[in-house]
Amino acid sequence: MKLSVSQPQLAHGLGIVTRAVSPRSTLPVLNNILLATDEGRLRLSATNLELGITKWIGAQIQEEGSITIPARIFSDLIGALPGNTVDLTLNTRTQTLNIHCGTSNFDIKGIDAQEFPPMPVPDLQNGVELNISDFKEMIQQVSFAASTDEARPVLQGVMMEIGNNEITLAATDGFRISVKKTSLSTPVSAPVKVIIPARSLSELARIATNGDETISMVVPEGRGQAIFHLKDAELVSQLIDGKFPDYNAIIPRSFKTNTTITTVEFQKACRQAEIIARESNNVIRMHIQPQEQGPGIVEFSTQSEERGSGEVVLEANIDGPELLIAFNVSYLLNVLDVISTPNTILATNADNTPGLIRPVGDESYLHVIMPMHLG
Amino acid sequence: MPIKILPESVTNKIAAGEVVENPASVVKELMENAIDASARSIQIRVEGGGKDLIILSDDGIGIPIEEIALAITRFATSKIDSIEDLQRIHSLGFRGEALASIAAVSMLRIQTRSKDETEGSELICEHGKLKSISRKGFPQGSSFEVRDLFSNVPARLKFLKSERTERSRITDLVLYYALAYPHLRFILEMEGRVVLQTAGNGNQREILAAVYDVETARQMLEVNLEEQGYSIHGFCSPVGITRSNRRDIHFFINGRLVQDVSLASALVNSYHSYLMVGRYPIAIVFLKVPPADVDINIHPAKAEVRFADARAVSGKLARAVRLALLASSPAPTFNQTLWGSSNVETKEYEIFNPSQHDFPPSSETGSIEGITTPESNHVQAALGLDEHMPLLRVVGQVGATYIVAEGPDGLYLIDQHAAHERILYEQILDKRVQKKDMQLLLDPILFTPNARETVLLASVEDTLEEIGFQVDAFGPGTYSIRAVPAFMSRTFSLRIITDALHELDDEKSSAVSKEKEEVVIRSICKGAAIKGGTILSKEEQENLIRQLETCQNPRTCPHGRPTMIHLSVDILERQFGRKGSR
Repeated sequence: MKLSVSQPQLAHGLGIVTRAVSPRSTLPVLNNILLATDEGRLRLSATNLELGITKWIGAQIQEEGSITIPARIFSDLIGALPGNTVDLTLNTRTQTLNIHCGTSNFDIKGIDAQEFPPMPVPDLQNGVELNISDFKEMIQQVSFAASTDEARPVLQGVMMEIGNNEITLAATDGFRISVKKTSLSTPVSAPVKVIIPARSLSELARIATNGDETISMVVPEGRGQAIFHLKDAELVSQLIDGKFPDYNAIIPRSFKTNTTITTVEFQKACRQAEIIARESNNVIRMHIQPQEQGPGIVEFSTQSEERGSGEVVLEANIDGPELLIAFNVSYLLNVLDVISTPNTILATNADNTPGLIRPVGDESYLHVIMPMHLG
Repeated sequence: MPIKILPESVTNKIAAGEVVENPASVVKELMENAIDASARSIQIRVEGGGKDLIILSDDGIGIPIEEIALAITRFATSKIDSIEDLQRIHSLGFRGEALASIAAVSMLRIQTRSKDETEGSELICEHGKLKSISRKGFPQGSSFEVRDLFSNVPARLKFLKSERTERSRITDLVLYYALAYPHLRFILEMEGRVVLQTAGNGNQREILAAVYDVETARQMLEVNLEEQGYSIHGFCSPVGITRSNRRDIHFFINGRLVQDVSLASALVNSYHSYLMVGRYPIAIVFLKVPPADVDINIHPAKAEVRFADARAVSGKLARAVRLALLASSPAPTFNQTLWGSSNVETKEYEIFNPSQHDFPPSSETGSIEGITTPESNHVQAALGLDEHMPLLRVVGQVGATYIVAEGPDGLYLIDQHAAHERILYEQILDKRVQKKDMQLLLDPILFTPNARETVLLASVEDTLEEIGFQVDAFGPGTYSIRAVPAFMSRTFSLRIITDALHELDDEKSSAVSKEKEEVVIRSICKGAAIKGGTILSKEEQENLIRQLETCQNPRTCPHGRPTMIHLSVDILERQFGRKGSR
């Protein structure tokens, strides 16, 4: 293997694939990055067996070949090199990669590329075409609601359902649910229903930067994997096996009180209250009070025995009876962060039933939070 | 067979079975007699593990010639006159059974001279039958020679333990009595070898060294409490010294070695949250209780007693032990030997010296009656002493598990999991009464416990509810969890509850509901606390330390593991050779 690449491109590519390197793997080759020549480009791959990322960068190839190189050393070294052309030359006999850039010359020992787990090659014919910016927004609006509890792996994933020219993502950690629907520009041949680790989707959202490109998603039959193909990158994720909760049954159909609040004000009130609330279980109380005339008010209050207390009062359009309800303020902030419309609706029934938050004028997204019960 | 009254020879043997169980009980009865006879010195010789020969000689008041024949008859005693005397008994014996019982199952020879007489007497008795009484010259005091114990009761002989066991029983017994009566000289000779000799100078710690070992004796904490006619005095181990069972916990009540399960568990409970699960302290405690408040006549060998107010006694004991512990709970220091140097003196363990922690004498505080009770004053003094940890500055995290912090007196290593466990534990205990914020679940988690778990779950349902769980029965064999405590909404998993139930199952001894509660809370804290291996941001580390600082008991996790290790400036300087010689 003998080739030349530009240092900024290589450094950027390494920054993407190293996210899939497992820091504490018992399999030494998984600490490495695969470098391989691939149809006139340099292919960089890393995997922790759950998540694999491949990135292609342009290269001038003089001799084909492949090698795996310790991820940390290689990316640190490339990052420290000047922004010129980098020459990579493999000594196949010693499995040592020579890195030459300007006046710098390094030799790094690698592991034979044969030992690297093979990455699946997707059949892009049956792929689902997804708009990158739409899909990234979907991921952002949904994946934060997934659980981090390793004891319930299903909840660590995001449910993806594709059918009827529509794609739905949903995630829940048992306390809240996020659901987002988007229509597809091109119809799908067969419906898809899979649970993808939230972490994989977050990585995908990070990799996919080109706003106008499309992502092709392929779920090969019986492989338990989903492959996301971008123009010059690919992400392979293991799927989570299990039964995702029937979230549609949990989301209430009707509400007694609908409160419309300016999103930014809502967010500000929560931010302020959080400063006190984080000292006492993150509790924020919302006293929703409709008025006889004019708009109603919502009083946000927070209290900590050790730190003090505070109230923020906001005007709101309230339709329905008065209600005092308590939420985990960080759950509210999480959802308000991903709502981009000027106004937000909070729909509630009682202080012990789920509250629904959704952007005004955007029916495609909804978020349900279970309230807190105060002793 | 017709009903008939048994001949005395038979009843004596039956009675002997209750009082004289093994050679050690012979030694005990004779020793108690000697103590009752105001002996200053007690010499014991044992051979064949006590089966062949036990000789006990004292320099007490002796037995007058005309009374000696009565001594071996049942219910003959010089110690009480009427049943009312039992209420104010100060002597160890009173039943008048011991000598008769020993005589019934052995070859007994008594040589004695009363202090008021010039001539002594010798009594020889074989298996309860009086053989001869003769007048002879002896020094003042009594000497009892018990030969061929149980030779006429083969069944009993068969059930005796090995000689070695009997020997160690006797040694332990004499040791404990020597400790209880430090002003008496004890000499114990076994198979021709002196195994114990005390000076009789009142120094208990010297005797402790013989009971345990020199190092343990040095570290034992002194327990001292006197109030309302009760006096509690003794020794208990610091948190660093433990055993895997309760066998090394002993009580003397009014000078008598007794077994008392409730006192023992009161003592163990005082160590609650200091010791690891399954570890027990060692202790020997001498209680003086007004005779009217204790019934000693419930066991033939007086190995058990009954208190008029058992809770009050347990409470006083627990408080006394707690005081001793509070006065001495340093952060465990780093084990010097790990650093390859053993010649470095640590000061940290000079904690047993009671003069370092001078409490106001109770007589002084007693004078401001009605304002503070002496004991509350004690507790306060002890709390202020060493209980709270110094203010720490976080340096960083090591191995994603330990937080390195600097205090005014050196370096502290803090185990993040243990520390968080302690914080949660105190928060729960604090909050569960007044405030329990719950995070409701969208979809109840269904929980199908097995039969054993169901029983356990039912027994702790109230506790779980107090902490903030909402667990409801949901059809046969199924429970639904509708809410979890707000503080653990991030960390909750069903395993935390099942783990708590299993831990409860393991803790067989926890029959008391309060203990159950604590087992559950401790286990839940363990499940909810941040794990080792979690990388914490600087803010999170600081927050953790700050919360730990506010804890009542920051030095140990609820399971008794240390939360922190202290490396003093002194140790660092010595280790780096800046100070002292290496």
